[in-house]
Amino acid sequence: MPSGQLPLRAGAGFKPEHFAAISAARQPAGFFEVHAENYMGAGGAPHSQLKFIRENYPLSLHGVGLNIGSCEPLDRAHLARLKDLCGRYQPESCSEHLAWSSSGGIYFNDLLPLPYTEATLRCVVAHVDEAQNGLRRRLLIENPAAYLRFEESTIPETEFLEAVARATGCGLLLDINNVFVSARNHAASPQAYLDSFPLHLVGEIHLAGHFAAEADGGALCVDAHGSPVIEAVLALFDRVIARTGPLPALVEWDNDLPQWPVLLAEVNKVQERLCRAAASHKDAAAA
Amino acid sequence: MQDWQANFARALLDRELPPPPGVSAPNSTGAPERFGVYRNNRMVSLLGALEARFPAARKIVGTEFFKAAARQFIAAHPPRSPIMIFYGDAFPEFLESFKPAQGVPYLADAARLEAARARAYHAADAKPLCREALAAVPGEALADMCFTLHPSIEILSSPHPIVTIFAMNTGTMDLAPIVDWHGEHALILRPEYEVEIRRISAGQAAFLRSLAKKNPLGEAISAALAAEANFDPANSIALLFSRLAIAMVRNGAGGVPA
Amino acid sequence: MISKTEISAATLAAALALLAVPASAQQTGGAKAGKEKCYGVALKGQNDCASKGVNSCAGQSKADYEGTAWKYVPAGTCETIKTPKGTGSLAPIKG
Repeated sequence: MPSGQLPLRAGAGFKPEHFAAISAARQPAGFFEVHAENYMGAGGAPHSQLKFIRENYPLSLHGVGLNIGSCEPLDRAHLARLKDLCGRYQPESCSEHLAWSSSGGIYFNDLLPLPYTEATLRCVVAHVDEAQNGLRRRLLIENPAAYLRFEESTIPETEFLEAVARATGCGLLLDINNVFVSARNHAASPQAYLDSFPLHLVGEIHLAGHFAAEADGGALCVDAHGSPVIEAVLALFDRVIARTGPLPALVEWDNDLPQWPVLLAEVNKVQERLCRAAASHKDAAAA
Repeated sequence: MQDWQANFARALLDRELPPPPGVSAPNSTGAPERFGVYRNNRMVSLLGALEARFPAARKIVGTEFFKAAARQFIAAHPPRSPIMIFYGDAFPEFLESFKPAQGVPYLADAARLEAARARAYHAADAKPLCREALAAVPGEALADMCFTLHPSIEILSSPHPIVTIFAMNTGTMDLAPIVDWHGEHALILRPEYEVEIRRISAGQAAFLRSLAKKNPLGEAISAALAAEANFDPANSIALLFSRLAIAMVRNGAGGVPA
Repeated sequence: MISKTEISAATLAAALALLAVPASAQQTGGAKAGKEKCYGVALKGQNDCASKGVNSCAGQSKADYEGTAWKYVPAGTCETIKTPKGTGSLAPIKG
């Protein structure tokens, strides 16, 4: 089934809770994405289910533990596991985060922020290079959801991502919910962020729900992936794909999982927007 | 390591510390609360991983006690690997020596059973031998055969009725007083996709432990009979060929696995 | 030398007879529905890229295990399970 790249369609994060529903009939989902680390056991049900997904849909492997944003050396054993998984399933896309998750041998199980400086840029570039060389494939690197920022940062995040891509040849995964969440958390404009984002490098888009609270420092948005994508995020998505044309677009839902039809309805909503963007793009090209 | 990363990591692990220097929220007072989101993400996700892997242990002591114990375990044994499906292998040992849980002496073995269950769940796939494999062994050679057991298999022997306790705390058996309190041996096995937890006899446990050490079948039967006079070899041989063994080779021969 | 245990023809025959019963009938729980049998029921993975929310303050509260006071007692089904030493959360064993 591997066709080289994800289709320009809407996909869903695959959750084992949805397997029965998904496998019961052909689903109108363009692709599925899984978190790589959940499939790093040797065998059993997780692999039998992923094999089914692989055989029937395009697949995206999304890592959360490679520690790209750390200034410590990459975990070679983990990179080898990721390589094995890529070899076993031949996913159309493989992605990771501009974040760190381990330090001093301890794994934090969270995507943690880094300052954006010339020094950290060198670390990230070296890590993406090493990962791409090890995996023998191009990675997409995702913009993080941030709750804090480092005062020592000297490079805007969009420039930092573009520099990583320029130096390593990697692509970018644009998480529009993360853009919204980070902008809100820093009293900044998500649209301004997107205006400066190197959209030509985007290989996939992520969309998810978040929740908003009031906190000491003003609005606090938490990237909880436990609710529908809000309208403001979808509006940003529309503006992005109006410029780029359709892109593979994933709906992520990790907490408070709904039944599969609810998630599928979200995917369909995104698919309709992709179709509209495709139509207006075609019109623009014809004009 | 860079200062920013070391400082951030230290503050994540120690809740008494303020947020690391050099991080800020849009106003001057927000940083502690925002840094708390990261601390919270870490703690909630690690607690969630332990709760998912040890539901019977949680039921036995109650959620509040379990979470408090799990927090202490997380502080003492933070994950060393990004693969969360295996986090908590050391939790049973931790519970064993955890003073506030000493009043529940069977807790650690219940957790051991659950830890093994998760390992079995993710173990490599392998096809068991079959009736034809047994029929093909010449009768006089059977006692000399050595076996490779399925990669998911673990045997747990407890001085407590651990299989019964596990069943009662995972909803497969009604919760009731265990009047006839005696030790139990558990066989943890995943023949296809579903983990089975079977109560086995002392003889069967000795039989499987002996086979796991690559002793030939005859020797394993002797070990089983020494552990349990009523051990029934036919039954265990049938189980071995139908579900437990994935390969066999004649003792001393370099032969090809069946 | 360890004395060799013979496996009698009767034992072998009995084992073969037991194996003649289809494997599915030997299983507890009987045959599973098709999909489940072929793919299994996968447990939830524990790695993802979502935040866990601020509604639970697990990461923010003061360390509740520090100092000498441990305020929790086991209070789950251990209060129901009857052991040779009595029912309920047993008196803490010192040491």
